[in-house]
Amino acid sequence: MEFTENTNSDFFYSAMMLNTDINYKTLNDLTMHKAMSNYRDMHNIELLKEIVKGNFDLKPDTVHKVKKLIDSFSDVEKIAKRYKQTAVTKGIEVMSCLDRAYPYNWKHISGMPKVFYYSGNYNIVERMTLGGSVAVVGSRSPSRYAEYATEQICKTLVDKGIAVVSGMAYGIDRKAHMTSVSTAGGTVAVLAGGVDNIYPPKNKDIYELIRSNGLIISEMPPGQQPLRQYFPSRNRLIAGLSDCTLVMEAGAVSGTLHTASFAASQGKEVFVLPNNIYYENALGGLKLLEDGGNVLLSAESVIDSVARSLMYKRMDMGCPAELYYQDQIKDEFGGEPDIDALRELSKIKPEALTDDNWKALIKDSLTLKPMCADELCVLTMLPFYKVSKLLTELELNGTVCQEKGKYSLTFV
Amino acid sequence: MTSKPNVTRLYSSFVSGSDATVSLVEVSISPGIPTFSVIGLCDSSIRESEGRLRSAFKSTGFTMPKGHITVAISPAYMRKTGSGFDLAMAMGILFASGQLYLPSGAKIYAEGELSLSGELKATPGSCIRLKTVRGMDFDYKIIPESEVSSAGIAGFTGQGINHLSELNSVFDGNDYQETVFGFDKKGTTDDFLDISLLKGQEKTKRALLISAAGFHNILLLGSPGSGKTMAGKILSGLLPPLGPEELSDVYSLSELIEGDDTDLSFDRPVRVIGPNISVSKLLGNAQSVTPGELALANKGILFADELPLYKTEVLDFLRNPLEERKVHMTRRGVTYSFDSNFIFLGTGNPCKCGLLYEKGTKCRCTVNEINRYLSKLNGPFMERIDIFSEMRSISGDDMASIYIDEAEGESLRYRETVERCWQNAFSRYGDHYLNGNFPDTDIRDAMRIPESVVRFASELSEKGFFSARGFTRVLRVARTIADIKDSDDVSEEDVSEATQFRKRGV
Repeated sequence: MEFTENTNSDFFYSAMMLNTDINYKTLNDLTMHKAMSNYRDMHNIELLKEIVKGNFDLKPDTVHKVKKLIDSFSDVEKIAKRYKQTAVTKGIEVMSCLDRAYPYNWKHISGMPKVFYYSGNYNIVERMTLGGSVAVVGSRSPSRYAEYATEQICKTLVDKGIAVVSGMAYGIDRKAHMTSVSTAGGTVAVLAGGVDNIYPPKNKDIYELIRSNGLIISEMPPGQQPLRQYFPSRNRLIAGLSDCTLVMEAGAVSGTLHTASFAASQGKEVFVLPNNIYYENALGGLKLLEDGGNVLLSAESVIDSVARSLMYKRMDMGCPAELYYQDQIKDEFGGEPDIDALRELSKIKPEALTDDNWKALIKDSLTLKPMCADELCVLTMLPFYKVSKLLTELELNGTVCQEKGKYSLTFV
Repeated sequence: MTSKPNVTRLYSSFVSGSDATVSLVEVSISPGIPTFSVIGLCDSSIRESEGRLRSAFKSTGFTMPKGHITVAISPAYMRKTGSGFDLAMAMGILFASGQLYLPSGAKIYAEGELSLSGELKATPGSCIRLKTVRGMDFDYKIIPESEVSSAGIAGFTGQGINHLSELNSVFDGNDYQETVFGFDKKGTTDDFLDISLLKGQEKTKRALLISAAGFHNILLLGSPGSGKTMAGKILSGLLPPLGPEELSDVYSLSELIEGDDTDLSFDRPVRVIGPNISVSKLLGNAQSVTPGELALANKGILFADELPLYKTEVLDFLRNPLEERKVHMTRRGVTYSFDSNFIFLGTGNPCKCGLLYEKGTKCRCTVNEINRYLSKLNGPFMERIDIFSEMRSISGDDMASIYIDEAEGESLRYRETVERCWQNAFSRYGDHYLNGNFPDTDIRDAMRIPESVVRFASELSEKGFFSARGFTRVLRVARTIADIKDSDDVSEEDVSEATQFRKRGV
């Protein structure tokens, strides 16, 4: 693959983050005081020297760290070159948050990696944006029941074109990847170490399968060993990449619970497979249910949740536009499309949504309180004739009823 | 002077119901003690004309001839009213007494009331009369100058005069000129409110559009101050202006009631009635056969404010005209009919406190109270209402944007849609019918509703969305919705939307 100056900076960034004192705080301080425009500027030694001169109102700690970076600049660059070497030989590619193809779901969560590495079929990520994705996580030594449920539910989901995201561990992860690889939905494995580092090594068979049919992602540079402290961060990425999280089985102390709490804090729904209360390896999951997790009764409820989140994604500007209109825009603007122009274009494009999406939105709005048709028009930004048609259909199948001129859900 | 009675004949006309009858006025003067008698079932306004004639002659320089003067107005068996015979009688007397030269064999039509000084005045009903006369073969047609706008609308040609003395020049000087009367084409007055004032009330806006596009009766219930009364003025702005023929129909009736100071415009009439209206004001006076509000609203809008407060009796009398689109009056065995083809727009509060449809639960009325309040509107009356919409008070933000943003002319865009829908309907039905007033025959074929859609509608009906009688109403509204979309056939989607405009129980 072709590596540009930008990718060199990306490698440098990874090397710098792993091998020097520079952390997110330092970077934030630098960007906040407009010492640099984005993280790639760290690769610019002239600019770093400029920063050290004290022209910016930076924290002393930041200046100190930058000074140390200048001293070790050539060493860091060496490491970056080594990364690059590995990447070239092993066919690993780089993606940056400044790229258009950066995962949509990550753009909206803070603290997601600025640079990550991948190997395999990256199209899955673009498909996920509009097709949805589900994190399937669980114990490394699951019960037959949880394994069976994982297989059944994943099958239904990938048939609907929903991608399955997991961590390529033993047990549930392995089952989830096995079921979803080379299907309509596809599978994404997020590793704790470098993309070329097969962990656990016994999973080499499915690693190869995913590399050729799915996608392997890691925020760590090529060659990096999966250290213990990297796993929680990896779990965060799994939750962040997907639209909702399924906990198939989790013990009282389990990394799976991290994934679930990350998902919840990112505002995503967590489904937990109900299990026997006397089965200790499932207690963590059951506690999640006690805390208000959704009960995973069937794949349908997961699909509903994904559909809802997709709809909000589509209503949110930008995402559909980037995918739908990028060709059209390219002609108009020549070259890389302007994100703002895309957003503008996508703003008034509700026709990309299907009637079922709108119905789900109407139902969602009505769970809060009964509303009249006029309010629903304002809320959905649809003309009355469309709303009235949807309402009649909803009334016809008994979901919604009308009382005192307002519509409400029949069963709340 | 010979003893042979000298008889002259002229023509005039009088109004009965919505038509006029041409009558022959004969004047005979025979020698004897001076008397003046008018015969032919005339009411006192005609018999009193002796006084007006006598004084008018004197002021103009003519004299009332001495002798027996008998005026006979035929057909003698019909009752006649109105002072419009004055001019014909006066001219008859002047011809008979030789004070004016009567061209031999001339057929003369004359109408108008005389004042004591000899001035000619218009009388109500002129437009109806002149419409009847316009095609007839008269050598001289003379009308008061103040009736010319009626004449223009009626397409009547003749001569208008202001004063009795002008007759000298017409007959002696032979200065008769048949003129085609024009009328002041004011066009439309633009005296309507723009529909953008209903911001945030999407359902009502849509309801008004459909109502105008298909001539559907509409009922709006909503909170006080939600703009119900405004809706009436908005609806009139959505309707296309009157055609020339329609204008003469509408004008002739309102002229009959209001005389010559009727406003003349191409705007469709909007008749506003209130809860205290009497049945005779609504249907018309059977004694004098004058049309009521129902007939006057023909081709326009009958706007009934505060509908739930109406007397049951009045609402019952409304039912038949709404169905048949005609009002009938019977006097002495003769039935007179007036067209009453209008959009019925009813408004009112949905309950005693009026806040039923407000956001949240501001209304504290019980279901029983609400049902009692609306009891008059239930059942047969509601079957005649095609469209129902709720209204609620406009929110502060919307109110601000109404008065800050200039959204003028939204109504005009709506009106273009309405005009297109009317054209669609005319070309489909081949007659001057619209979806709302098309006769209740086999509407399925005439309105191009596929069988599958009818089945869908009957499924909705079975599930209780509307009654069996509401069924055709829903299909009619669906037809209009399809017209708005410019589609040939009615689809299930259209029926789905139309269903939302049915009023269902509380």
